[in-house]
Parts: sequence; structure tokens; C-alpha cells
Amino acid sequence: MLLKNDRLPELLQSLSAEQRVYVPSNTSNTSAGVSRFALYGTGVEPDFELVNTTMPPKDLLFPQTQKMYRYGFDTEGLPFINAQHDGDEVLLFGIRSCDARSIECMDDVFLTKGFVDEFYQTRREKLITVALGCSHVAETCFCDSMGLDANRAPSADVQLTAVSDGYEVHAQTEKGTTALEAWRPFLTETAAPEASPSVPNVQCTLKVDMTGIKEKLDLMFDHPLWDEISKKCITCGTCTYVCPTCHCFDISQENKMNAGERFRCWDSCMFSAYTEMAGNHNPRAEKMPRVRQRFMHKLCFFEDRYGKSLCVGCGRCVEKCPVALDITMLIDQIGALELGAAGQPGATESVTEGGSHVAH
Amino acid sequence: MTQAIEAALRKRAQELLASGEVAQVIAWGSGRLTKQTAPLFVTTPEQADTIVFNDYCVNALAKYAFTERDAGKLAVCVRGCEARGINRLIADKQIEREQVYLLGIPCQGMKDRLSDEPLAKCVACTHRNPVIYDELLASEVTVPVVPVPQSAAERFAEVKEIEAYTREERLALYNDAFDRCIRCYACREGCPVCTCRECFVDQSDVGWQGKQGNTDENRYYNLVRVFHIGDRCIECGECERVCPMGLPLMTLNRKWIKDLDELFAAGEAGLTEELDNALGHYDVHDVEEFM
Repeated sequence: MLLKNDRLPELLQSLSAEQRVYVPSNTSNTSAGVSRFALYGTGVEPDFELVNTTMPPKDLLFPQTQKMYRYGFDTEGLPFINAQHDGDEVLLFGIRSCDARSIECMDDVFLTKGFVDEFYQTRREKLITVALGCSHVAETCFCDSMGLDANRAPSADVQLTAVSDGYEVHAQTEKGTTALEAWRPFLTETAAPEASPSVPNVQCTLKVDMTGIKEKLDLMFDHPLWDEISKKCITCGTCTYVCPTCHCFDISQENKMNAGERFRCWDSCMFSAYTEMAGNHNPRAEKMPRVRQRFMHKLCFFEDRYGKSLCVGCGRCVEKCPVALDITMLIDQIGALELGAAGQPGATESVTEGGSHVAH
Repeated sequence: MTQAIEAALRKRAQELLASGEVAQVIAWGSGRLTKQTAPLFVTTPEQADTIVFNDYCVNALAKYAFTERDAGKLAVCVRGCEARGINRLIADKQIEREQVYLLGIPCQGMKDRLSDEPLAKCVACTHRNPVIYDELLASEVTVPVVPVPQSAAERFAEVKEIEAYTREERLALYNDAFDRCIRCYACREGCPVCTCRECFVDQSDVGWQGKQGNTDENRYYNLVRVFHIGDRCIECGECERVCPMGLPLMTLNRKWIKDLDELFAAGEAGLTEELDNALGHYDVHDVEEFM
């Protein structure tokens, strides 16, 4: 099936009458150069040429602040607790392979291993993802090094592939097949749709070699590399908040008069307060353990628990880190290490910035 | 000019480390991406050759003199912005003058690596030459490539423009910005003046700052941040540069600076090592209109 370019606005118009449709857009805040997935409607122009939005789409499943329940005393003085479950059907239109993979990672965390997060689940069940193959890559994109394909997102409900006069449309899940029913009036039958998928072959220019990285990290908890790379980190939360897979949260409340609201909100392992416990004990009060935790979680711990990397190669942190603490450079540095017993560096070498070795 | 400075930096870093005068040199190295640089911490003479100085050294380094203050004597590269940051750290008693050896660098202003345009913070810079240093690595900049704002009027032009808006227009402008804020606190962490051992934001027992990400909480954070640093702000513009969401933080800072200037003739911060910030000391001639 083919979605011709000139039918696309009509399709979005039509769909947005029934669902909340989110499209990549930098319409608002153009001067600030900030793009995001915005609710399609008045004043929001989709831009499908954006490689990656500044902010990932994760807030549609895992909002920065999510109300959980309200509590308090009602007008008759009786206590109440009202759970709050929000979530309309949402169509996420035009996500890239990296963001589609990030939803797989979030699903692992919030829906598997015997833990089902009802707040996430409510939104997830009502989410339909429409992936769009990348027509070009940013200099910071490295998804194919992380085992992804910029041209295809297998887990998305619908996959769009750009062709000369529009997009080839393929349903990839049951949800996608159902969703496409509403698209039918806007689609054109193609001659031999399945036989000639004509997938473009977009490749990332930034490459890293992930071979053996996880196995090395298993041995590297006490490696001096962490001291070295963490020096320049200013411990802001930028990398974690622009990351499509970072999913840590805090639960807090706001009380007003005789009622209050419990909510959860994004938190970041880069913040000291993140690990602060009752009685003021803080296992990661210092900078180095926090930096180590972030990279270990991305490249090692998540792999242990869920069998995949928590880094999807979208490059947002690479682009936005104010001090260029670049995960791809770290991967190179780890790759270049020759580890002795228990992960310590060899006696005669230390690692410098950029992964080169300096003999003492 | 930058090439000569780079060569001088490498040479001096090598000598200072080899002689043991300093334990660490804080400078810039190269990043992975085109024209990208990053803060670099050099601890051995052999690594001195990895120091880079070019038109794209966008990071202000002064904050590292604070974060690395327990790592022995530091040599720190200081341009105008870093030098004023160092002065502020000394005035605020966060570091001792003897703890740092200052490699002075006259600076023509830095460029954004993608657009190749001068950085906003460098266009607004009023001190291209370091105001404190132990040695100067090149002769002073007398005719900057990017013109330096000549007067307070020029420095506060944007603030005045916004002051002329209606209350509703100002609210709309700033709500739009605060709405965008993700509270990553990069502005706080990059700031050489934000040196509280515990930020009000993190005093969760007291609960000054709600953890919700919404316009009200974002506005509260941003305004308290400005109140807190306003009279000590050295106008290095690092907060605005590090902001991933493009908030006009320096416009906000300059509003405070302008008010302080009008009320207390505060002038520019960080020009000396003295504790001279308007709200840091009392003078019998201070305005008392609120009493």
C-alpha cells in the first residue's frame, strides 16, 4: 500500500479527529531549536525530515510528571483516595527506529519480570506506533552499531518507508493492521507491494564496535577509567532527560489544604539526591559512582537483566551533553582496554582521553 | 593566534607538570565530532600534547577549579570569562588564590561548531582579556574580531526591550520558556557561582522546590536561581550555553544585574578578588526604599 505525499495531510487530519496524533515538530519554540513529538492540530506543523526530535517520545508513555492518586478529606470530612488513570488512544506518527526500540526497553522495565506498572500499561495499551525509516542520519546517530536498522523498526505497529512520491505502508502487528483500516481511503494499491519493498539503505556514519564491551564492563566496576572520564561531567541531568530509554522516577506529593496529590516524576541518577536515603545515607553522593552507574546501566546491567542494551544509539546525549562526555568515545575507550585480572589495567599503561595508551 | 596559544599552552602544561608545580592542568581537548572540543584534565607531561586551543573552545572552565579543588594545585586556562569566575570563587572563599596557577589567554570569542557563528555569550562578552592571571600566553586583544559591547545600555538592550512589554506579554514570553525547561539543572551545574554545598532544590526535607515538572515549579526554580546568583553573576553565559532547551537565561540574569546596577551601582562582578557583590556587604548609603 502506498501513502502518497499529497494525501498525508488529509490522513493526519482525519486520524486526529478520532485519536490524539503526535508528530515530530519544531513549530513551537523554533527560535530555541527545540523539537518534540507534538499533538497534531492548529499551529503544529509536522516535520518528517527531522532526524531526531530534541526530546524523545517517552513522555507519552512515561510523563515527566504523572498523577497517581488524589487523597484527602471530602466536604463531609470523610477520607478519600482516588486513583488517577489517564490515557487516551495515542497515535505516535513518524518515530525513528531508535525510538521504537526505546519503547521495547521501556516495555521490558514496566511490563515484564512479574512487575506490571499499571500507569505505564494503561498508556501503552492505547499507543499505536507508526515508524518512519530515516531518509538521512545526523552526525551523532549510531543506531546500526547498537544492532538497529535506521530503515526499519520491526517492533513498530506500522512501518512507513519513503519512496519517490510518498510512503510505502506496512502493518507489522495486529494493532497495526487494525489501525490501517482507518487509513484505507487515503492509500493507493501498489502493483506488487510485498515483492518490492524497495527499502533504502541508510547507514550511520558514526560507528562503534560493541564486541566484548559488556564482558569487559562486567570486570570494570573498580577500573580507574571511571575516575578519569567523570572529571569533566558536571552532573546535570541532560543526558538522562533527553535519553529515550532513561526511566528512573521519584514519587512525591503536593498537599493543599485538606487534599493532596501523589505523583511520580522523572529523576536522574546523575543527581546526588537521587540516591539519598532516609537518615541521609547516600551510596552515590560522589560524582564518579553516578557517572559509572549511568554508563553501566546502559551498557551492562540492563543487558544482564533484559538481554539488550539500554542504549539505542539515537545520539541525543552525544549531541546535548554540555561537556561532550560522549558514550561512543567511552565505548571506544573500553574497547581499546586490555584488562588484566579482575579488570584492572595492565601495570604499564593508563588510558587517556580518546582511547589512546600512554606508557609510563 | 589560537595556534600560537595552543603551542604555548602545551609547552607550559608540560613544564608545570614535569616540575611538579601543579598536579593537574585544566584545559581543552578534542571531541569526536567535527570541530568539537571538550574540557580536558591533564595529569602527566606526556599528555600535554593532547591540549587543544582553537575557535571552538566553547566550555568555560572556571567551575572545574571548584570541583577539582581537592586534587592538588591546579593550572587553569583563563580567558576573560574564566578569570572572572576564578575571582568570584576566591571572593566567595571557595578556593584559595594559591591553589590555582592561572594561564591567561586573550580571547577573540568562540564559535558554534555547527553554525560557525560567534557564540551568543562571546558576542556579549565585555572582557576579552583575563582580569587575573599568573602569566599571559599571548599579547592582549586590543581590537576584538567580534566587537565588545561598549556601554551598559548596549549590554542591557534586550532587557530594556522586554521591560517595555506589557505584563501579559512578559508573562507569555517567560511562561513559554519555563514551560520548555526540563529541570536538568545544567544551568546550575555549569555555573561557576553556584557553589552551595547543598542547593535549595535538593533540600527535600524542607521542600522548597516541588519535584513536578510544570510551568509553575520551573518558574520557581529559575527565578530563585537568578535571585541567588544575580549579584555575583559574572555574565559568562555558560548557563545559557549548556541549556539543552534554549532558555533565555542570560536575559533573565541581566534583568537582575541591571536592577542591582541601578539600585546599588553594582557594576560588573568578578573583576577583582574582593567580596564586592551588592548583596554581599552593607553600605550606609544603600537605598532603603522598602524600609
